[in-house]
Amino acid sequence: MTLVSIIALGLFAVWTGWRVFVVDSMVRASFSLMLSFLCTGGIALILHADYLGAATVFMMAVEMMVMAIFMVMFMMNPAGLNPMKMVHQERLSILMGALAFGVFVGAVLRSDLPDAPVAADRPATFDLGTELLGPSMLIFETAGVTLLAAMVAAVVLSSRTGRYGEADAGARPPGLTEGGDPAGRQPEEGGHHHHHH
Amino acid sequence: MSPLVLTLPVALLAGAWLAAWIDRLAPALWGGRAAGPLAPLRDGAALLARPNATTEAPDRLTRWLAPGTYLVLAAAGLSVVPLAPGVAAVDSPVGIVVWGACEALTVVAVFLHGWSPNSPFPLIGAYRYTAIGLPVMLPSMFVLIAAALPAESLSLIAVVEAQREVWNLVRQPIGLPLFLIVGLTLTLRGPFDFADGADIAGGTSAEESGPGRALWQLARLTMLTAFSAMAATAFLGGPLGPGLPAPMWLALKTVAVMLLTILACHALARTVPSRMLHLLWVAALPLSFLHLALAGWVAL
Amino acid sequence: MTLLRRLAASAPPPVYPCIGPGMLDPVERLFASGCARRALSPASAGVLLIAGVVPDRAAAAIDRLHDQVPPPRRTVGWSGADEPSNSLHDAWSGVLSGDGAEPDRLPDEPPNEWRGKGDHGHGGEGMMGGTPYGRPMAMTGEDPRDGLQLDRYTMRVGPFAPMLPPGLELEVTLQGDLIAAARVLQPPFPQEDTASAPPACAARMLRLLGLPHHADRLLRGGRVRAGVLCAVPKGLGAAMPGRDARARLRRWLDGEPGAAQAPEFGALITGLEWHEAILMLNSWSPEALRRAAEAA
Repeated sequence: MTLVSIIALGLFAVWTGWRVFVVDSMVRASFSLMLSFLCTGGIALILHADYLGAATVFMMAVEMMVMAIFMVMFMMNPAGLNPMKMVHQERLSILMGALAFGVFVGAVLRSDLPDAPVAADRPATFDLGTELLGPSMLIFETAGVTLLAAMVAAVVLSSRTGRYGEADAGARPPGLTEGGDPAGRQPEEGGHHHHHH
Repeated sequence: MSPLVLTLPVALLAGAWLAAWIDRLAPALWGGRAAGPLAPLRDGAALLARPNATTEAPDRLTRWLAPGTYLVLAAAGLSVVPLAPGVAAVDSPVGIVVWGACEALTVVAVFLHGWSPNSPFPLIGAYRYTAIGLPVMLPSMFVLIAAALPAESLSLIAVVEAQREVWNLVRQPIGLPLFLIVGLTLTLRGPFDFADGADIAGGTSAEESGPGRALWQLARLTMLTAFSAMAATAFLGGPLGPGLPAPMWLALKTVAVMLLTILACHALARTVPSRMLHLLWVAALPLSFLHLALAGWVAL
Repeated sequence: MTLLRRLAASAPPPVYPCIGPGMLDPVERLFASGCARRALSPASAGVLLIAGVVPDRAAAAIDRLHDQVPPPRRTVGWSGADEPSNSLHDAWSGVLSGDGAEPDRLPDEPPNEWRGKGDHGHGGEGMMGGTPYGRPMAMTGEDPRDGLQLDRYTMRVGPFAPMLPPGLELEVTLQGDLIAAARVLQPPFPQEDTASAPPACAARMLRLLGLPHHADRLLRGGRVRAGVLCAVPKGLGAAMPGRDARARLRRWLDGEPGAAQAPEFGALITGLEWHEAILMLNSWSPEALRRAAEAA
């Protein structure tokens, strides 16, 4: 029963992952990817990693929702009403994908995976918490803070209101003398943006 | 999963009917006419008797998937709530995270409901709601984790056990009001009804008619039932109480939270999305974080 | 009749009103009395109510709305003289029994050709743009707030939109729910004085704020507490300091009539979100908006 459901979820995850590149609709692609991740969360739930499975479902739902909103905001064909070609550089990607698949399958087949089922009363969530806040605390905290800093920096960099004015008008600080040039390097003329298809 | 799962449809339908009736009793508070208990059935029949509305080039799969998913999420959320001390339909050791996952997927379901008819007003409702719904997840998680701290477990059965001496409402007083915000958002009601608002001609339900519309309204009501049961479990002690059998206590507390939510829905005005967003990030989120910090300090 | 139809027939009929000149107040009182339920969109309605004599410029809009009501449907005309609840009830019974379905008034065709230039024959640029399925695809334009390139969607909000005064036609270009450009195409219909009275105007704004029961109480002559004013953002449509939408709603709640003429509102709603813009437009009476639109 466990094996059957894991295989079924795995196959569904692969199929929805393939659909991401086949559908014309960008919003459907985002939610197809979400379904694929949900299946992975489901497999984690079946393998008694309850917290990981439920947290995967939670996080992937929110992330793919944000991606779908961005599709509607920026992409000019979010519903796939126009036929689309969703892939670029297919040959190289297929080659890399096949190579990665071969490497991973080899690694799985050659490694010594544990065989014993987890005891039903084992506090998996407690063990996970102890691991995260004990031996893996450094990785956990630095990754979290780094991600937050990157998000804040991205928003600040892309915001139009610069420190001394509009960002695309140069945002020059006040001059050293009245009406003169500011200190430091003078920015060059720029502010053009690309529009690519 | 136990055979108790079979009680879920009955509980959800009964709760949906009760919530719909309380909705129709609410106008009496402002001098209007209150409706009888058959009024929800009449309105439901009026919806079912109409055909489905068709639009041009809709996303057919998600048009039915959205209300269906919403209904399933309400059932999933209710399934982890303990019906008696130590007994739940689905005994999950991470019941709180399961509820969080249901909340996140609800935002997805509402977005898909507005996306699928291929019409401007539903789409506006969909992404307006997402902009409010996603930030509401954060205070919700903080408040629920604070409720779980005295129990030292994410399982709702343990959370109920930890409330034997004193309810979480007493030792964490701002938890329930903050969680009510989450409930109003999840059920698209009152001050958080950005998805189906009157200023966008009915929003995500603007192009819905007939069985599709009835299913969406039913899903909203069942989600209100599931939310009320969850709030009763996390803050009011769930099935604990002297005298009456445990499921009766859970039902009574669920109805109490439902009454509170529906009252808030009809009494509070809805402000513009940008202002609501500002209030959420600047007021609700720091407040919930302080609440969690306080609960953590008390628990240590 | 089956049990379902019998139950449905005893419910108030879902009616979408097309309000003509001079009929705004009678229609609002009809819905406040509870004998019919106001549908917010034609798709959720079963009966189309045409109140008053609609001018020719809005006749095409009535045809479009009629076809959006899912069949079986009925159209009921009301001149304001008699009590319409019987004819509405009869129409609803007719809709439920499904006899004598009204046919579509307009042909079911997209407004533009699907074939054109472009890689895939839809008349666009590469994979985007053009008129797929006959409707123009939104292309990018600059966001007025940020300088990002976001999709712009132009639509016409027609003469019988439920959140605007009847007769007002706007052409808005939306980026998300931000109004990037707006143009007034047709002014609202003239209404009688009772439609611009303080309780009726305040009730309209309260409905947009999600308080339908408070609105009905105002129409019955009751009072509403001023706490609802917090929900209206400050500074909306402020012609002068202290005369914004919130102040206008406060004056209406106190029973004082508002300004006789609104400022030119096509430019005022540009740059606002949709909800803010609708609240601002409804903070002036229909008569004030009509004078402003005809003066422009």
